[in-house]
Amino acid sequence: MDLNAHITNPKNVGELADANAFAEETNPVCGDRLRLSLRIDAGRIEAARFLAYGCPPTIACGSVLTGLIEKKTVAEALTLSRKDLILTLGGLPARKQHAASLAIETLRTALRSMDLRLRIDD
Amino acid sequence: MNSTKHVYLDHSATTPIDTAVFEAMLPYLTEKFGNPSSVHRYGQEARAAVDRARREVASLIGARSNEIVFVSGGTEANNYAIRGICEAAQDQGRHVITSAIEHPSVRGVCEQLEKKGWEITRLPVTENGLVRSGDVSDAIRPDTVLVSLMLANNEIGTIQPVKEVGDIIRELRAGGHRSLWLHTDAVQAAGRLEIDVDELGCDLMSLSGHKLYAPKGSGALFVRRGLRITSQIVGGHQERERRAGTEGVPGIVGFGAAAALARSRLPEEKVHLLRLRDRFEERVAAEITDVLFNGDRERRLGHISNISFRFVEGESLLIHLDLQGIEVSTGSACSSGTLEPSPVIRALGRDDELARGSIRFSFGKGNSEEEVDYVVDALFQAVTKLRQLSPLNKVPLSSKA
Repeated sequence: MDLNAHITNPKNVGELADANAFAEETNPVCGDRLRLSLRIDAGRIEAARFLAYGCPPTIACGSVLTGLIEKKTVAEALTLSRKDLILTLGGLPARKQHAASLAIETLRTALRSMDLRLRIDD
Repeated sequence: MNSTKHVYLDHSATTPIDTAVFEAMLPYLTEKFGNPSSVHRYGQEARAAVDRARREVASLIGARSNEIVFVSGGTEANNYAIRGICEAAQDQGRHVITSAIEHPSVRGVCEQLEKKGWEITRLPVTENGLVRSGDVSDAIRPDTVLVSLMLANNEIGTIQPVKEVGDIIRELRAGGHRSLWLHTDAVQAAGRLEIDVDELGCDLMSLSGHKLYAPKGSGALFVRRGLRITSQIVGGHQERERRAGTEGVPGIVGFGAAAALARSRLPEEKVHLLRLRDRFEERVAAEITDVLFNGDRERRLGHISNISFRFVEGESLLIHLDLQGIEVSTGSACSSGTLEPSPVIRALGRDDELARGSIRFSFGKGNSEEEVDYVVDALFQAVTKLRQLSPLNKVPLSSKA
């Protein structure tokens, strides 16, 4: 899928009713917002959905990110970087790369929320 | 592009060159290449063409031809007008009044003057995007030398009370405040409204060619006869020593031809554009929820429609429309490369979300009702899709945890 396809027909749009990890992050500078819901079973991301408000790359990064992390272990997902998203998209202009940063930050917050839940459950 | 259909609705950004304008220009790009300053035949041919264009541009705004100075466009005209007056009048006062919704070129010069110690009063607008002429009266001080107020706004099309302000200034001048002038940026209004500089009472008026089907790089500043203004580009006698440099003859010829066409077509074009815009707005209001129309419903240019779509970011909407072959513009910060969303929409009292979700549709003579219908259908689909994606119209995450 190219950038335009991720913008016009993004994958994994929505929210998971049975999610056990969530996050919503906002870029304080431009107001772009990304919401992520994940279902994690036995340390593996079984499903991922996103909602986005922002410029086209924010939508595209939500689509690419959820595609990249599904079926990955939490440890593997934590190694994903801004650069990985940009490469998967085939590049982003410098002034749009904040969209990839927002996606990675939202992912890490969501995974941390899972981590906190596990600790509370313990 | 995904679509083979093509609907250009960004005529406030720029217009295509009219075929008749292009034909008028063509000889001056080829065989009639003379420099208007040359005394030989080629030069005189070019000089005559520039003079003809000057008369046409002057006629468009009810001015005399020796009151027209050709420049490179609206931005140069605004820079020249404001800086030129302020430099010439700085011994009389160092205060300028302008509005919160001026074009960036006016805002930019004012910010620069401010850094040099000038005082700038930026008047607010009503929620409909209109400056109150009473606010201008109240803001004028003994040291005010210039009021710069646009004739019509470039984003929302609202027509400002320039004539009322002109009357106020005329009265003050008659009462002894002699060093007080009025500049108006008429870049969006020219060719869209009947304009008469005497009726408006303005001393300076900025014009741009490419907003009225002439080429980019053409523009003019009306400078009322007898007004002292400091030239900004010096080192040549062109334009009666007001703007040095060899005239851009093909562009000037194109601007003149476009001004003549605009004047003759204005009545019928106004009716055509109003019909398109009303049809567009009626359908949007009836078919798309959570929209806000920006700008006064009555006092605005007939070809501009500016709408904020809640829960949707403007650049994403713009790209969705672009992929359907529809060109518009947005007040979203992302799109303009700045960090703040449209100051014009913010000045109406709208929040950041509404400013970011604003789209300007500007119609032109080549658009049709069928195109309007195509755009509304595509707009409905794009807005629906982006709202499905948006977290802003969903249950907040905090209440789910």
